[in-house]
Amino acid sequence: MKFQSQKIAYWFFAAAMLLLVLQVVYGFIMGFARIGMDGLHGWIPFNTARAVHTNLLVVWLLLGFMGSAYFIIPEEADRELMWPKLAWVQLISFLVVGVIAIVGYHFNYWEGRKFLEIPRPLDYLVVINVLAFLANIGLTIWNGKRYTTTAIVLYFGLLAAALLYLPGMIDFDNQTLDSFYRWWVVHLWVEGVWELIMGALLCYLLIKLTGVDREVVEKWLYIIVGLTFLSGILGTGHHYYYIGAPRYWLMIGGIFSALEPLAFLGMAIYALSMAKKGGRRHPNKAALNWTLGSAIMSFVGAGFLGFAHTLPQVNMYTHGTLVTAMHGHMAFWGAYAMINLAMIAYVLPILTGRKLWDNAASSYAFWLSNIGMVAMTGAFAVAGITQVNLERRMGLDFLAVQKEIEIHFVGLILAACLFFLGICLYIYNFWRHGLPTDEAAQSDVRAAEDLPTVS
Amino acid sequence: MLTKLQAKVFFLGGTAVFFGIFLVLTIDTHLKVPFQTNAKDITSAVIAGKRIWESNNCMGCHTLFGEGAYYAPELTKVVENRGKDWLKVFIKNPAAMFPGQRKMVHYNFTDEQIDHVIAFLEWCGRVDLNGFPAEPPLRDALQAMGTPTGVVASNGPTPLQKPVPAVFTTGTCIGCHQIQGQGGAAGALIGAPPLDDVFRRKTRDQIIEWISDPAKVKPDTKMPKLVGIAITDAQVIEIADWLVSLNPETAAPTAAPAPAAQPK
Repeated sequence: MKFQSQKIAYWFFAAAMLLLVLQVVYGFIMGFARIGMDGLHGWIPFNTARAVHTNLLVVWLLLGFMGSAYFIIPEEADRELMWPKLAWVQLISFLVVGVIAIVGYHFNYWEGRKFLEIPRPLDYLVVINVLAFLANIGLTIWNGKRYTTTAIVLYFGLLAAALLYLPGMIDFDNQTLDSFYRWWVVHLWVEGVWELIMGALLCYLLIKLTGVDREVVEKWLYIIVGLTFLSGILGTGHHYYYIGAPRYWLMIGGIFSALEPLAFLGMAIYALSMAKKGGRRHPNKAALNWTLGSAIMSFVGAGFLGFAHTLPQVNMYTHGTLVTAMHGHMAFWGAYAMINLAMIAYVLPILTGRKLWDNAASSYAFWLSNIGMVAMTGAFAVAGITQVNLERRMGLDFLAVQKEIEIHFVGLILAACLFFLGICLYIYNFWRHGLPTDEAAQSDVRAAEDLPTVS
Repeated sequence: MLTKLQAKVFFLGGTAVFFGIFLVLTIDTHLKVPFQTNAKDITSAVIAGKRIWESNNCMGCHTLFGEGAYYAPELTKVVENRGKDWLKVFIKNPAAMFPGQRKMVHYNFTDEQIDHVIAFLEWCGRVDLNGFPAEPPLRDALQAMGTPTGVVASNGPTPLQKPVPAVFTTGTCIGCHQIQGQGGAAGALIGAPPLDDVFRRKTRDQIIEWISDPAKVKPDTKMPKLVGIAITDAQVIEIADWLVSLNPETAAPTAAPAPAAQPK
């Protein structure tokens, strides 16, 4: 660690880990409800569990992004963070708003719009909070000693994410328009600007972990994020097929969302080729595993499985079925959860001065969680495809079909146990690192990773 | 080989061009949606229904326009498929309609609130969704393979054609069963038989016993006990009387001339 103010990242990551565990717990509640074990229905009905599960995901990923930014930006700008105290205020207030929202969901206090369930008054607090965050890192970059592409792309991604939150706050009486602008937030986040953030984090990690020349890595970053927006912006159309929007979206959404996997494929090839070029010389094997894993799993989950049901002819029957859950789980895991875990794995030894970067626990954490997630995706896939055939193609009753696919949720729960074991090991490793220290700046952690540059 | 500057131009230029196209299409969509969704029919009841839909996070289990969670049924066409009367009874006590099955939260909505929710769903059902939800393409093939066993007895006297009494609608019967060619959408493939020829299979007393408590006669039946929820004891008798009156052989001579059983 070069700057004292980077230490704040640790607390963002620690909070993210806590929320990740809670997210998985609520996932289990839903899994059990689906096999008929819904004893918690009176206190935590499915819609509460679902809103908590997805919102915790968004909140912990954002915490991870913010923590990453607080670590990366001082280093890229080569100066201390503008206002270290504001970062603390921002973390605590963000958590407070999150906790109020999550608790509120248990008392029927929400907005009831998928992924944007946070009630309106809290929306404004989120906006203020994010403005404080953007001001803090923005001015750090502005007053920095150098401007790097990585920092600019990361900042641009975070800024655009904040701006795109706003269309979701407009009220419409028309359900179709409501849905139309809701996707401006949700789609343009996860298939647009979040990919920018992911790309920037990936770029930063590749520079640090492979030792490949910054100019080369950053040049390809532009190409990747260029491809993302080229396909992703008009790819929003795949949400507009069947919600009451004009018919031309079938054509536009179909063509451009079919191109979206290219951006993810580009990202995977990019990461693998940089790693090959630089060689695996960096001692932090765990961080490199997560980094490359993220690039590959996001291609499989977001790119390939997204493509599997994005064409309008297919989507007519898969729209609104568990096939979406199949794609969603691996896409979020690969693209956004894993890149955060990669950042954390890379940053922790630097903040704490402990070289716990290549041990059994970290290795098992990586493989168990990934194998678990692949198996979960498989369970969702079998359940989803069966649902599509029985309900959408044969016309059987919804509940009768749910009864038929119940067994696949037993499989889902077993796979989720494996996944959770991996997560627990990851967090165990997190805990073993201990707290960030001032002495870490003088430790030889950074010396160990000073790789000769490969161009 | 591409320089970093060229890569940057590709990113910024591409983003600007495609975001520009997206904005133009958004404006066009925004102008066309009111026509495609019959926005003139969005009454205050529909808006009130939408608020209820949102403030209770119905999307957290159901899907609407195919959007939401996947724990409970798609509701876009629910008013068309089940009928308003069925929905009114259902929302008042969801568990009663599907005993022992997946649970819905029991909301204590007023009658007015229920009307609003139904108005909202009815408006949703009429939005032009570019063909969604599609007719199940294999349904006809499946039905051609044969109706479920014990559902329809094909021989016996042809039932009479008579106007259907209101109790079949208010009592929610036609949500699942087809009667005189009406209703039956929701029950078609879960084994809810058409009721016109039920007199061939059951006597008046058996019909009363069945409706009064279906699970007592057949423990694994999907039919809910509707007495006390949608119908009264007196209405059970009314229903049974009407159903047996469809038998041309026992019908009073004053009834319409009974057509003879036609050979198939």
